[in-house]
Amino acid sequence: MIWPIGEIDDLRRLRVLAAAIPGAMYVETDLPARFDDVWQVLGDLERALPGLVPDVRSVRVTEQHGERFRAMIRGRSGLRAPFDGILRPGWCLMQSRFVSFGIAVAPDGDGTRLGYMSGFRFPGMRILGPLLVPANRLLGRVVVRRFITRFDRDGDSGGRPM
Amino acid sequence: MLDDQRAESATAGPVRVPDATIRSAQRGDLIALHDLLEAITPYVRRLCWPIALQDAPDATQETLIVVLRKLGTLREPAALFGWVRVIAVREAVRVARQSSRTAPAELIELPAPDDPALTADIRDVLNRLSPEHRAVLTLRDLEGLDERAAGEMLGVPAGTVRSRLFRARESFRRAWRTEGGDR
Repeated sequence: MIWPIGEIDDLRRLRVLAAAIPGAMYVETDLPARFDDVWQVLGDLERALPGLVPDVRSVRVTEQHGERFRAMIRGRSGLRAPFDGILRPGWCLMQSRFVSFGIAVAPDGDGTRLGYMSGFRFPGMRILGPLLVPANRLLGRVVVRRFITRFDRDGDSGGRPM
Repeated sequence: MLDDQRAESATAGPVRVPDATIRSAQRGDLIALHDLLEAITPYVRRLCWPIALQDAPDATQETLIVVLRKLGTLREPAALFGWVRVIAVREAVRVARQSSRTAPAELIELPAPDDPALTADIRDVLNRLSPEHRAVLTLRDLEGLDERAAGEMLGVPAGTVRSRLFRARESFRRAWRTEGGDR
């Protein structure tokens, strides 16, 4: 007997993670570029993340084993932190001791749908989370604008850090 | 992909999730949460699709959210998939009932064999059952549960499940046989 079954896309998976992480910020937007072009840019973390992810000045991938990797991220404040991550087409998760973020993209017609999530890993986020809603809303708008700007170039899907 | 319906064998069982992964996920470790999602999503999809049908992506998403949010209450890692199954069936029925107000609340009579609406698609057959009947059928035929276990999961007495199961399986068999005869 064959029963019906289907897939869920990576944006739904990221929504699930965002809903499960107390105080997480989650936004979605449409990018005016094809999935392959978008991922060609985003998949190159060292070049893509600075300028897109808030407070990331540089990224250096130090280890990679299949989909898993470790990277050293330096922030604009000068602080450095090691991040563990998962990277595969359309899906990137990264976390340090105190911060986590994720990116999911999926084809959507001629364009691409993007989901972005970020959150803190402090104790007490379940209580503090609601207080972060206004800041998250603002941060979400900033992130969406950055991603759209990166890919909203005529015939040029980006590739250069802002 | 979302809405990319495809037939898939229903025999694939749950995979083993290391206890350490579950413990780390309970502490909010993102990578462990990812690993847990990877492990349970195929199982959740397998349960949600036959019950929630066109609403299955929503049902799957809602199930996974409930699972991750309540993960801290799971004391015994070995009970993971049984616990997930309860949540998946409840969420699939809830989502299907909520959105498909035009669907039959109770089992309806299947159309005559020459009804053109009856196509050679198992989805159509499932579509003719209420979400609860689909849940009973799924629990019995995919999960191998007996009436008592299915009743506990659906929150109804075993006798009710037995009658639902009888009617669901009868209708299902008739419809399936009818479709098979048309091929």
